[in-house]
Amino acid sequence: MQQGWSVGEAPRPDAVRRHLRKEGLAYWLILPSLVFLLVITFYPLAVGLAEAFQYHNRVQPWATHFNGLENFVQAFSDHDVLLSLRTSAILVVGIVGLSYLLGLVGGLLLNQNLRTRGIYRALILVPWVVPPVVSLISWQWMLNDQMGIINRTLLALGLIQKNVLWLADPSLAVLSVVVVGTWFRFPFMTITVLAALSAIPDDLSEAAAIDGASPPQILRYVTLPLILPVSIVATLLQAIWTFNDFGLPFVLTGGGPANATTPLILLAYKEAFRRPNIGYGTALAVIAMVLMLILGAIYLRLQARQQLYEQ
Amino acid sequence: MAQSPIVRPAHRGRATARPRRVRWQRLVGRVATHAALIVIAGFAIIPLLWAISTAFKPDGEIMTSQAFLPRAPTIEHFRVVLNQTAFARWFTNSLLVALGTTTLAIVVGSLAGYAMSRFRFWGRATYGNMLLVVQMFPGVMLAIPMYLLLTRYGLIDTLWALLVTYLTFALAFSIWMLKGYFDNIPREIEEAALIDGASRLDILWRITLPLAAPGITTVAVNAFLLAWNEFFFAYIFLASNENYTLSLGMYSFIQQFTTQWGNIMAAGTLTTLPVLVFFFVLQRALTRGLVAGATK
Repeated sequence: MQQGWSVGEAPRPDAVRRHLRKEGLAYWLILPSLVFLLVITFYPLAVGLAEAFQYHNRVQPWATHFNGLENFVQAFSDHDVLLSLRTSAILVVGIVGLSYLLGLVGGLLLNQNLRTRGIYRALILVPWVVPPVVSLISWQWMLNDQMGIINRTLLALGLIQKNVLWLADPSLAVLSVVVVGTWFRFPFMTITVLAALSAIPDDLSEAAAIDGASPPQILRYVTLPLILPVSIVATLLQAIWTFNDFGLPFVLTGGGPANATTPLILLAYKEAFRRPNIGYGTALAVIAMVLMLILGAIYLRLQARQQLYEQ
Repeated sequence: MAQSPIVRPAHRGRATARPRRVRWQRLVGRVATHAALIVIAGFAIIPLLWAISTAFKPDGEIMTSQAFLPRAPTIEHFRVVLNQTAFARWFTNSLLVALGTTTLAIVVGSLAGYAMSRFRFWGRATYGNMLLVVQMFPGVMLAIPMYLLLTRYGLIDTLWALLVTYLTFALAFSIWMLKGYFDNIPREIEEAALIDGASRLDILWRITLPLAAPGITTVAVNAFLLAWNEFFFAYIFLASNENYTLSLGMYSFIQQFTTQWGNIMAAGTLTTLPVLVFFFVLQRALTRGLVAGATK
């Protein structure tokens, strides 16, 4: 093995040979995953980046040409794009904020010595496992203005006089998407908060109690600061997932009424496949990706710092 | 209780009053806790319960009744879905894609996870971070160019296209999860086998993988759920009805049946059934996977 290279070959530095002998197998082990990643992610990504700088409409493929930054210039003066960015922001802030609050309450309640804790936890996880299309259609059915259970119950209770247009009124539709989005996201928050809470040693809050701290004070000054790092990372991840969520607005409202519930992701899809303006749609997707990469970089930073802190 | 008689009288009044109040307060606290948890859990399961309830109601009752339990339960809607639609075909498609994704995610993921755990190869940190960053790309950024490429290579509207896409999305989780499990398996066990003359791959297959069984379950559950529940890429890639997965079939139902909620919900119930079974059997693995995202 050591005399494996003949005179004609350039002798590689010793370090390389030693490295390959010791770690060489690793390159074979990661090869399959690397191939999939390159073919399924990076190759399309490169093609997509090229598309974003082209005029490319599938209705008139002969007119395809490189148009530099034109798509992006157009995007930032496009009323629909600005509206969709606003919608994305409302959905992300609303859904992530509400689901964190609900998850925090759920986590704190579950972090007690309850015999039925396992049952509650299992039920709270249901939104996470049910196929999203199924739950979205079920929500659509419940929110249906004529026959939906929500309107019928509210009418029966006398809380409303006529049917509320949950999905057909622009601002109510946004509210509906936020509530349904919260329903999707809060199980993750609950379980994450619960995991962070159960990692806190009991003696910390006991010590605070002996020192005379009231339960709200313990929550404010002991518990919350300790789950803060996990909370930030979980919130960030959820923000990324919520921003990227296509199914939620697409199946629930189709982005309407009048684009009121069309976030940037959905607009990019509509431009690329309905118009079908591939170049422009991809440019919007690139804008979305850049926004997510910024959040992703923050996530990796925090994650690294948290690991450091745990050691 | 050996308390001194002098303190006793002063202490007595509080000693009898206080436990009672504390006990009462604790009871109220318990009731409030359970009430709040029941509300939250109810919020979580209501869409599913209502879907199942609707599926078993006759059409007339669906339009008029607010009751949860059907007055005259019927399986007519299930019959329509199973006999008059391509549901069985979609079910098979979903199962094939999900099982394929799961198997490959375990094989490819454990190879790379093992490399990440046991070797210090060049680009290791970059590779690990790259896996995570890829997860954050918006699906639409990949879907548009993939649609163009798959069309060019004649792979559009095939289950293969979905399979490799789902596998790639499942890889980051699989690799990181299994790396974590491998990290916790002592190297000494492997070194002993190495001295006995076993090859590295032999060791991975015969010793390390069985020890990482809980990690493999978690990876399997995650990959299966991802493939079974995914909608967006299926919607972009698949065109012909016979190639639909269940999610896509469900979506096509709202167009096809518009207001026949009984049929739609029967299909939804059947689509959810496998994951619910999966869920109750493998709940711990699921929870582990969920938590790993933010705390690992």
